[in-house]
Amino acid sequence: MAEEQVVISVADDQVDDMASVVEALRHAGLRVDEVLESVGVVTGTVEGDVLGSLSAVPGVAEVEQSREFQLPPPDSTVQ
Amino acid sequence: MTAAADGTTGRYLVLLEDDWSDATGELNRVAGIRAVDTGQEGASPGLWEGDGLVMGQLGVALVTADEDQVTALARAADEPGPISLIEPERFVRAIEPTAPATDVEAPTVDETLFTWGLQATGAPNSKATGKGVRVAVLDTGFDLKHPDFAGRTVVSSSFVQGEEVQDGNGHGTHCIGTSCGPRELEDGPAYGIAYEAEIYAGKVLSNEGSGADGGILSGIDWAITNGCAVVSMSLGAAASPGQAYSRTYQRVATRAIQKGTLIIAAAGNESDRRAGRVNPVGHPANCPSIMAVSAIDAARKMAWFSCGTVDTIGAVDVTGPGFDVHSSWPTPLRYKRISGTSMATPHVSGVAALIAQATGARGFELWARLSQTARRLSLPCTDVGAGLVQAP
Repeated sequence: MAEEQVVISVADDQVDDMASVVEALRHAGLRVDEVLESVGVVTGTVEGDVLGSLSAVPGVAEVEQSREFQLPPPDSTVQ
Repeated sequence: MTAAADGTTGRYLVLLEDDWSDATGELNRVAGIRAVDTGQEGASPGLWEGDGLVMGQLGVALVTADEDQVTALARAADEPGPISLIEPERFVRAIEPTAPATDVEAPTVDETLFTWGLQATGAPNSKATGKGVRVAVLDTGFDLKHPDFAGRTVVSSSFVQGEEVQDGNGHGTHCIGTSCGPRELEDGPAYGIAYEAEIYAGKVLSNEGSGADGGILSGIDWAITNGCAVVSMSLGAAASPGQAYSRTYQRVATRAIQKGTLIIAAAGNESDRRAGRVNPVGHPANCPSIMAVSAIDAARKMAWFSCGTVDTIGAVDVTGPGFDVHSSWPTPLRYKRISGTSMATPHVSGVAALIAQATGARGFELWARLSQTARRLSLPCTDVGAGLVQAP
């Protein structure tokens, strides 16, 4: 299965101690890109078939697939 | 045929009773009108021959009639027979929800000293400057060599792999210009709202204008860590009606607010109000705790492209100037006029910085003050929320 970019928010009661959640996510198959302490989010990539298991990791609130953004070309009148 | 000033064409519509099988004969007998029946063999539909046309499928005749003929037809309508009613034909035109807005039709505002957006938000009359307030603009970066920003405090960081902060697109430089650009210029109008705010330029979109959630969330995290009171995000991805908002961004926005950082984001440009189509607020502006900004033009009308509140998910919270907006652009061009909710958003972010400086408000208090002081407009709240933001 293809790799998925994911954004994972950590539960409110775990935000002040994200290290253990990050470790558990790694164990579950997440390749961590960034640990964002101020917003309580972990970003990374994961094999598609283990995507579902990440939300079962203790301390994880939400797992979402990363979305893409695209501006119109710079010469477009509406931006 | 001369058209009357009251919107009538000079021709008349004759409504026929349900049995109009001999309508042409009756029009001839009553008023001497020679009409063609589209239902008759050999007649081509819509053909205007003689004095009139009987539209066989409708039971309506369109006729040319002088005063005497009109009197005769009106009398016949009062009597039993196939002629039921006569009334003047009117000019009609397509109904459009808003006037077609194009660059050339933008209302004229004197922009000698200030852009129309600064004037509309009352920024020129405000004593606030944004001094001491940090404003993060998460976009395509910034032209760090732009002469209009010489001497300004600019902190920058790139969250796009392999790209420097230097803006190779222009979008980011335009947005930073509106929110935090200068007031004293040798050439052209003042275009910046919070002209003494500290600029935090976070590059989360590439020079090609593309990005993903990971980079944007990294930019928000950076802004919070640096104590930015305002995060301005002129970016988004289209949402479809009924589509749920991102719970991750909602959680992030709530945490940001708790730490004194208000996230302000563009509602999106997916509507075509010229065709009567309004699309919902996009991601991530559709999160309840992110302030969603729609766009109006200089006549205080909705910009034709602006997204609106379509269902229970994704409310427009406030509106800002987002049509034909003059602001900075990477050198050598230096300036450019463009439109979009992307341009409305930094107006709101700039005003937020002024209010933050003037009142000390942060987070939800800042949100409340932006809403409370917004100028109410004669436009649906589904399109403009609380209204047009106003400088303190």
